[in-house]
Amino acid sequence: MANEGWMLIHTGFRKYVFEKGTPGTYTYRLELLEKDTHSPESKSYLDFLKETGIDVVGECVNWVYLRCKTADCKFDPGNRPLYKLTHLLKIQAFFNTIRLIFMIAIALCITGIFVLEHPKPTPVIDFFKGFCVGISLASSVLMIMLAPYFNRVNRKVKAAIKDLYTCN
Amino acid sequence: MTNPEENIVLTEAVFYTLLALHNPLHGYGIMQETKRMTDGRLVLSAGTLYGAISSMLEKGWIKALPEEEESRRKEYVITETGRQVARAELNRLHELVENGIKVIN
Repeated sequence: MANEGWMLIHTGFRKYVFEKGTPGTYTYRLELLEKDTHSPESKSYLDFLKETGIDVVGECVNWVYLRCKTADCKFDPGNRPLYKLTHLLKIQAFFNTIRLIFMIAIALCITGIFVLEHPKPTPVIDFFKGFCVGISLASSVLMIMLAPYFNRVNRKVKAAIKDLYTCN
Repeated sequence: MTNPEENIVLTEAVFYTLLALHNPLHGYGIMQETKRMTDGRLVLSAGTLYGAISSMLEKGWIKALPEEEESRRKEYVITETGRQVARAELNRLHELVENGIKVIN
């Protein structure tokens, strides 16, 4: 869209605001930070980027939308092995966190189902049992659906590590 | 603090950053100085430079100077440990070039 003259100027939750400008004025990147944008480490990094002419135009949890003037762009070239590996490791860590959350949810819900077996059945207990079954089923299904993406990221990390042996 | 006597191999980005920081500079200044020294061949990206600076600060190769009130830009300068590391890298590169010339030429 930047190449067509639509410049992203702001993002919110499921909202993107563009303004019309000269095509190719800005180059945009979406970056995954290791911590959320309000952490001291992320603030230090984003302040550094600002010093070098890279602006933050939007953020969502750990994701930031960055832009800089195309003529003087200081983004990491996406094809460099070290940049690729750094980026993939962040995505891998992000997926591992999601997987851990799902596994904890499944474990808690299964525990809940067993614990709730003991008291006399009441509508409330039945509701919570059904809730636990639903959450653990949903988490399991999501984990199975996301498994190919987890594996793809792991394969790309291995390939990027291999690339690093030959050039940086 | 890292022992400079260890066999450390520096990346190009780190070596040129150490060279540039023989005088105090902020991040953008390091990028400009590196670009000038290499006649535009090496353009350090912000992400790479930030990673290099963070790593070198931890290792004690460079230090951050106190921020001036008017300027929000942080400046850095090389430390004595950093100078020793840069010198060791220069010696390693000399050896690399000499061996390359002997074999290839």
